[in-house]
Amino acid sequence: MSFTLSAADFLSVLPESILFAMGMVVLVFEMFGTGRDTRNLAYLSLLSLLVSGFALHRLAGRGITGFGGSITADPFAIVLGMIFLLVVALIVLVSIRYLHDRGVGHGEYYALLLFACGGMMLMVSSTDLLTIFIGLEILSISSYVLCGLIQGDLRSNESALKYFLLGAFATGFLLYGMVLLYGATGSIRLPEIAAAVNRSEVRGNPMIWYGLGLILVGFGFKIALVPFHMWTPDVYEGAPTPVTAFLSSAPKAAGFGALIRILTEGLGALTPEWSQVLWVVAALTMTVGNALALQQDNIKRMLAYSSIAHAGYILVALVAGGRDSLGGVLFYLLAYAFMNSGAFAVLILASSPVRERVTFEDYRGYGYVEPALALAMVVFMLSLTGIPLTAGFAGKFQIFKSAIDKGYVWLAVIGLLNSVVSVYYYLRMIVVMYMQRPTAEHPPERVVPSVPLYVAVAASALGVLYLGVFPAGWLELSVRSVTSLLAGG
Amino acid sequence: MLVFFYLFAAAAVLGALGVLLLRNPVYCALSLVATMSALGGVFILLNQEFVAAIQILIYAGAIMVLFLFVIMLLNLRSDEQFIARWNPGKVVGIAMALVILAQLVGVFTSASATLGPAGEYPAERIAKEGAVEIVGGLLVTQYVLPFEVASILLMVAIIGAVVIAKRQIAKPSQEGR
Amino acid sequence: MANYLWLIPALPLLGFVVNGLLGRRLGHAAVSLLGPGVVGLSLVLSALAFIDMVNAPELRLSQSLFTWIEAGSFSVPVAFTVDRLSGLYILIVTGVGFLIHVYSVGYMHAEEGYHRFFAYLNLFIFFMLLLVLADSFLLLFVGWEGVGLCSYLLIGFSFERDAAAKAAKKAFVVNRIGDFGFIVATLMLFSVFGTLQIDAVLAQAPARLTAGGTLVTALTLLLFLGATGKSAQIPLYVWLPDAMEGPTPVSALIHAATMVTAGLYMVARLSALFVLAPATLTVIAVVGAATAFFAATIGLAQNDIKRVLAYSTVSQLGYMFLAMGVGAFSAGIFHVMTHAFFKALLFLGSGSVILALHHEQDMQKMGGLAKRLPITTFTFIIGTLALTGFPLLFAGFFSKDEILWQAFASPAGHPGLWAVGALTALLTAFYMFRAVGLTFFGASRVDPHHARHIRESPWTMTVPLLLLAVLSIGGGWIGIPHLLGGPAGLPNVFEHYFDGFFARLPAEAAQHAASTELLLMAVSTVGALFMMWVAFRLFSRDLAPAARLRERFAGAHRLLAAKYWIDELYEATVVQPIRWTSDRVLWRIVDAGIIDGIVNGVGYAARFLGGALRLTQSGVIENYAVGIAIGAVAILWYLVF
Repeated sequence: MSFTLSAADFLSVLPESILFAMGMVVLVFEMFGTGRDTRNLAYLSLLSLLVSGFALHRLAGRGITGFGGSITADPFAIVLGMIFLLVVALIVLVSIRYLHDRGVGHGEYYALLLFACGGMMLMVSSTDLLTIFIGLEILSISSYVLCGLIQGDLRSNESALKYFLLGAFATGFLLYGMVLLYGATGSIRLPEIAAAVNRSEVRGNPMIWYGLGLILVGFGFKIALVPFHMWTPDVYEGAPTPVTAFLSSAPKAAGFGALIRILTEGLGALTPEWSQVLWVVAALTMTVGNALALQQDNIKRMLAYSSIAHAGYILVALVAGGRDSLGGVLFYLLAYAFMNSGAFAVLILASSPVRERVTFEDYRGYGYVEPALALAMVVFMLSLTGIPLTAGFAGKFQIFKSAIDKGYVWLAVIGLLNSVVSVYYYLRMIVVMYMQRPTAEHPPERVVPSVPLYVAVAASALGVLYLGVFPAGWLELSVRSVTSLLAGG
Repeated sequence: MLVFFYLFAAAAVLGALGVLLLRNPVYCALSLVATMSALGGVFILLNQEFVAAIQILIYAGAIMVLFLFVIMLLNLRSDEQFIARWNPGKVVGIAMALVILAQLVGVFTSASATLGPAGEYPAERIAKEGAVEIVGGLLVTQYVLPFEVASILLMVAIIGAVVIAKRQIAKPSQEGR
Repeated sequence: MANYLWLIPALPLLGFVVNGLLGRRLGHAAVSLLGPGVVGLSLVLSALAFIDMVNAPELRLSQSLFTWIEAGSFSVPVAFTVDRLSGLYILIVTGVGFLIHVYSVGYMHAEEGYHRFFAYLNLFIFFMLLLVLADSFLLLFVGWEGVGLCSYLLIGFSFERDAAAKAAKKAFVVNRIGDFGFIVATLMLFSVFGTLQIDAVLAQAPARLTAGGTLVTALTLLLFLGATGKSAQIPLYVWLPDAMEGPTPVSALIHAATMVTAGLYMVARLSALFVLAPATLTVIAVVGAATAFFAATIGLAQNDIKRVLAYSTVSQLGYMFLAMGVGAFSAGIFHVMTHAFFKALLFLGSGSVILALHHEQDMQKMGGLAKRLPITTFTFIIGTLALTGFPLLFAGFFSKDEILWQAFASPAGHPGLWAVGALTALLTAFYMFRAVGLTFFGASRVDPHHARHIRESPWTMTVPLLLLAVLSIGGGWIGIPHLLGGPAGLPNVFEHYFDGFFARLPAEAAQHAASTELLLMAVSTVGALFMMWVAFRLFSRDLAPAARLRERFAGAHRLLAAKYWIDELYEATVVQPIRWTSDRVLWRIVDAGIIDGIVNGVGYAARFLGGALRLTQSGVIENYAVGIAIGAVAILWYLVF
């Protein structure tokens, strides 16, 4: 048995390795660091993300695979990796002041973010179930800890505990599903699983179906699809706001990425069946997410439910399948990353340890106190609603267009109706900011300036507008990126 | 062989039920030990003596001892219940668990349920080359990536534990809030 | 050649950006110059484009800017087209828009957020021009949503009043329901035609779609749903009357002259699609006629001057849809144009009254204003005569008569449609003259507190009024019917303007004698004149007979004054059930335990981590886990068994 590691093997995991290594460097620096000031660590983390992004960029177009094909640096993985790096960079930017103000002196925070990012990139670039699972667990465990990071904050602790217990529960489903697939096909590699499933006698094997179902449940939890979504609002509300911003976009993107890879590269032969299941799940997810978002007074909770609804929209594209739809997924993930992170960044900027601004009432008359900030919030809300000339519209348009094109008219109609309903609660933010006067309980206050936060808000707003006005470039790239996925599967 | 398998399997299931149903946390932990040991037995039946040894050493040994230490240090009284009273959610939950069990029984007893092709390492080969050599070899060759990445996973978990524990040490006054 | 087209929408956009970002610093005078200025420049360019278009070989100009969306074979360029329809529309939008901008300088000068107001107005003009100039469905939709958004911003402008904020929200949500129909239709069109270029779709439509087939009927009905939202038709008209909470220039610009005609524009532009679906056309005609009549009856019993005008707008829009429904697209657009002139005039006139009376809108507290506000009174009466179709002189007469005639004579027409239309004309005459009588004549019922301060408005307001009055009279002459114009040697310019532009109904029109046309015209005209006289008699002097009349028909009056309780009906049948379902069913049952979680979970969870390991009741988590298990069982059951 001869086995040698080649340069390609190392190259294929270079971006992840950089993040893991730098995560440890951050930990070491933290030991010798200067007390509670973790800002240097934040900038070090940003640098790591940048370097990793550069490495990822250099991998593009080379079609490198490593470790006997279990890691592939295909365009799909690279594009998703870029999205993760971008989200995490935005999260680092919005965290700096938040942690500093609240005296959270944990340099581990940034290390965990880097590890989580590496885990996500591993998830989407891996083509075997084992590595996907390990990547997912790195992400999950980092997330659990990040949730509970604030000292003495009961909400934060509760959030971490709930997430941990339920996450472990869901992981059980996922792992058992993977095991059944392995049992039925004799392999953990997606191409080999695909080859086995393509044989008709294996297709009739109930173990395959049961495995598929359990995997859908496991990912359904991670992506927070209805009916596996119930943990979301509690966890999102309790977690520190930057962590919520992180949880509501990046891990979902990673979950979708890995799920798409498993379902297309591994179980493409079962498409008619899993897309039927996901049809129902998508319809439920959009509807329940939106209906519940209507009720919320707390913006973090509202955004939590709305993130469920958006996952439903993305799922519509997964159901429809094909190049245009899956390209639409990538487009939507980036668009959502911008608008969601941006909205959270505004919340963080407006809050201070003395006064958290997380309910709608807190933003009464904000449009006149902080015109620029409120305007940015308007852009994010309009984009989440899907108003033209914003990224959200371009994304929704691409998704629903390809769904109708594939004949999923009713699903698209459900999605569009939900999108109509969603106006109601996104609009509420604009209403309170511009059409209500501040009251004595909710006095207006200028925010304490913070350059990193301003950068995050501005970058997100520009991203939303750029993708809305000039979506062509990114959309084309997205569609091209999924081509290899469908052809190679 | 089959008799032993059922014996170990029954022990594992009983142990798991004990974890769920017993009231004294120490008993719960001990039930978990029983489950882990029984699983080790199952591994032996599968000719995986090495995995069985690891299983018992690490889970039944190290980890469970740690659990017991924690429980005893915290000085939980036996009347601290882990089990909530019956409620509708619990009834439905148990029903669902039973349905899943029934489904699984259905799946595995189904005539068309077949296993995939056998792996490259049948029992004879393991006996010839030695389990430790094979597992060790695979870990640093074919599965070197998951093996290495798993260390990151463990480190993340350790960091998590340290962060949470450090906080308690740093700010004891926060306790009980 | 036509490479300046992009400037037409770009200038108002520039105005929006500058006014919005720098308005506060620029100061009052600069904003007053810039706001109307950019629209004025846009008007000049529009006129230029119109002239170029008329002289162009194919009667159209276009300019392509850049590729907006591209994915595989699918590509949407950002491109503008001026043809006979959009050319006319940009003139109306920028022309009426410019006058209203100028008027706003006077009307809004004392308001807080002056620059913000002009920023919104400019943005609105931008989106409206985008809508009109768009050469693809997607760009049209951008404008379509954009005007809805601006309408929302402008209605809620004076948000101090709770009603304004509510009305704004209602307008936006109702519009979005219509938009939903439009976007679904757009996506379906894409899946049928593989393109979203309007011209390409229209050119291929007869070949790809079976005339009268289910698909084309569904498509056009969805499009019409979109049109009912924007153009305030049954069942989505409810937002327009409430929109009167916005400042009066906004009502004039958006809710009379421009945005509400977007639905009509869309139907007219897609006439080639609509003629393939006779069933949809029938629906449009019936909805249009019903809306016209229904809104006119409500208008009879309103006391708020702006609400009277709002219901009359809904009613007139119904006329226009009636015209489209019988295949008389040209007549419909003709009425869009004349209506833009006189309705803008009426709204601005009412604004002048309202401003003079310190924001009093109740006609019961007006009266006798003719002496104090001569210019306003004069122009308002001209507008009213135009709206009520006073014969021969005024714009509304020709366009309304054309519609009524088409409703009767077109192959898709029906005497019943004519009858409803004619009856509506009588009602219109009645309620408009009631408004004139109550507002400008009779004894003054003005709050004595304000009575001394009544003063004619500044020139920035009266000049637009006068200009619009001229247009209200002259605007109709380009469409004089042959019957009347022929003998005098006046051609029907307007009819030939659209020659060959709109798709025709497959059936040939039956020949009707000229005497029939004359008879029908006479019936509706004489009836309207009579109603004008009655209403004016009743409401311009002693109000006692009118009050007696009202008591006699108290039940009917209450029904009309309460607007048939349609708002309440929607509240009870649509809004409340959704809220209830969301609140009770989904919130309490599907996500049960969340509230408990907040109450119970916090303490226990915290103590667990705090070291007490006292997780005695994790009921919440248990319930969530049960939810996951139920979902899992359902999915697994479906997949395996």
